[in-house]
Amino acid sequence: MDASNLLQSVRKEGRNSFLYTEAKKLLEIWNIPVTETKVAKNQKEAVQAANSIGFPVVMKIFSPDVIHKSDSGGVITDLRTEKEVIQAFDKMTENYRKSKSSVRIDGVIIEKMLSGVEVIIGVTKDSQFGHVLMFGMGGVLVELLKDISFRLIPIDPVDAKEMIREMKGYPLLEGFRGQKASIETLENIMLKVSTLIVQHPEIIEMDLNPVFTSVSGSIVGDARVIISQ
Amino acid sequence: MQTSSGMDFIFNPQSVAVIGASDNQGKLGFHVMKSLTQGKYPGKIFPINPGKDEILGIKTYPTLLQAPGKVDLSVIVLPAELVPKTIKECAEKGVRGIVMITAGFKEIEDKKGRQLQKEVTELANQFGIKIIGPNTFGITNLHLPMNASFTPEFSLIEKGGVGLLSQSGGMSHMMAFVSMKNQLGFSKIVGLGNRCNVDFADMVDYLMDDPETKVITMYMEGTDQPRGLVDTAKKRMGQKPIVAYKAGSSHLSDQASQLHTGSLAGKHVIYEGAFRQAGILTVQSSEELLDTAKALTMCPSPEGIHVAVLSSQAGPGMVVCDVCEMEKLLLPPFSNGTQKRIEELLPPLAIRINPVDMGPAWYDSNAIKGIVEAVLEDKNIHAIILCIMFASANRASARTLSDFLTRRNRKKPVICCFSAPMGIWDEEIRQLEQSGIPNYATPERAAKALASLVRFKTIKEKGETYGRQ
Repeated sequence: MDASNLLQSVRKEGRNSFLYTEAKKLLEIWNIPVTETKVAKNQKEAVQAANSIGFPVVMKIFSPDVIHKSDSGGVITDLRTEKEVIQAFDKMTENYRKSKSSVRIDGVIIEKMLSGVEVIIGVTKDSQFGHVLMFGMGGVLVELLKDISFRLIPIDPVDAKEMIREMKGYPLLEGFRGQKASIETLENIMLKVSTLIVQHPEIIEMDLNPVFTSVSGSIVGDARVIISQ
Repeated sequence: MQTSSGMDFIFNPQSVAVIGASDNQGKLGFHVMKSLTQGKYPGKIFPINPGKDEILGIKTYPTLLQAPGKVDLSVIVLPAELVPKTIKECAEKGVRGIVMITAGFKEIEDKKGRQLQKEVTELANQFGIKIIGPNTFGITNLHLPMNASFTPEFSLIEKGGVGLLSQSGGMSHMMAFVSMKNQLGFSKIVGLGNRCNVDFADMVDYLMDDPETKVITMYMEGTDQPRGLVDTAKKRMGQKPIVAYKAGSSHLSDQASQLHTGSLAGKHVIYEGAFRQAGILTVQSSEELLDTAKALTMCPSPEGIHVAVLSSQAGPGMVVCDVCEMEKLLLPPFSNGTQKRIEELLPPLAIRINPVDMGPAWYDSNAIKGIVEAVLEDKNIHAIILCIMFASANRASARTLSDFLTRRNRKKPVICCFSAPMGIWDEEIRQLEQSGIPNYATPERAAKALASLVRFKTIKEKGETYGRQ
């Protein structure tokens, strides 16, 4: 399946928001590194998925109706044993069934637990500027400090370089207390996202958040994509 | 003549019609006439007013079509509802450019204003006429000279290399008046007003080719076509400095967004990023806009970021260092020869390494001159910030330094902060500025100005890289 088909199939279903699995698929098609994602519909599948991916894992709610997963108890990190996976599965699914009965639950997502510096790469479409790309420092501080920079799409390699170096948190990316980013692979992702948007301008919003970056490379931990109606 | 763009008919016209000219001081049409005549516009002036034979001693015509000969530029000072008809007359007369002072268009609450502006724009486009405005104070070309604004005093501004594009009459007036005191010279001052068919991008393009303009400055509130400006600026990155002061720094996003990026995407942060992408320098105040323009019109580009700070008192030197650090400029040690020379000239009563406290040489103008000379020669130093605060005992130093610096070749930027009570060093400072050494009222502003030279150097290099690709 290529990206155009993927976009078409989302539109055909009358949605403008990609399912989590579709968002990841889109990135895979564009050779943007993403975490391996397994969908599990029950406890047993969840345990199998965790074993095949390898502990520790992260569990996320899989639902077309939940956009902000972590705000609503839809993300549980650092699960280290089968028992923890089973407990997490029960807790997460019950939680949603009880409190938000209108939400459709398609199961849970199991992913490898990643580490590294967290950054965010995103796209939005401004009413006057059109598509713009954002790079920002991630984690809990991003909303507080707003350490972010924008450029108009398309960007070039110089823009990508400058956006990263503009961060107040740049020293953290350069290497600080054992943490270090792979700046080159971050730049690569930014350039690919820029080209992706040029080729598919119907995408009006995109969040790659968080993107984990460490000496071994950069990998997208979570992604959301919204297309125009 | 850049006839292709038509803009030169606006800024260098051979004849100007003032449609709505008046001899009544209560009318803007009077003040426009005064601006043109007092401003010594060398071309022909045709006042248009059906009820007058002459205005300010100049023969007046009842209609534009009755004016004899060719009219390049029309300045329109009529009520808004008469404008569409007037544009048709301009087209018939072969007028190529219009400065439309008339207000009552897009800027008013009444929806009719927006409709009228649309109509006027379509007419102008149809006839191939460029309009500056509407809702503007006008334009001034100080080199022609032509003051086609309703403020005759704009003619008193010094002519120089700064082009100012502004979306606000109030801000333009204020910056012009500040600059009169500050000896900053302008090439063109343009009130863009509501921007019918001449927007920032068109003006940047025009001023890039304008031999009189060395630095393009902009006061901006917003534009409907920001991408046009960014594309134009990027295409010409580094050819001339573009400095922008964008008002409205609120971080609020205007997007109704579900996602993080959208909620963080305030207009101001996007402008900032887009300007950086385009090689446009951004500043945070009108003062900084003028300070930056002054340095960029006067100074040569520094070869690097190595700064020497020479101050006749310790404090000003210290605050310069603070700003330099913030702006990522370096204060390296002097080369051995320079250091040795400084130690010969300065007793060991103060700091003799960079930043140098020249305090102990207070009474000795020649020692101060010797230090400046040695540092100017130092190959490891790319720019100098020189601070001298007046004291009765060092009164002679300013003259010694201004005489010396004026005679030198000026490959290395020297930025001064000479400060004295009014009337004491005015002439020395003027002498410095006339020879390409800007003076600032405070040491912090001097240091910021130097930083802007370095920022533009980076942009220029980036522009060259793009050019090579």
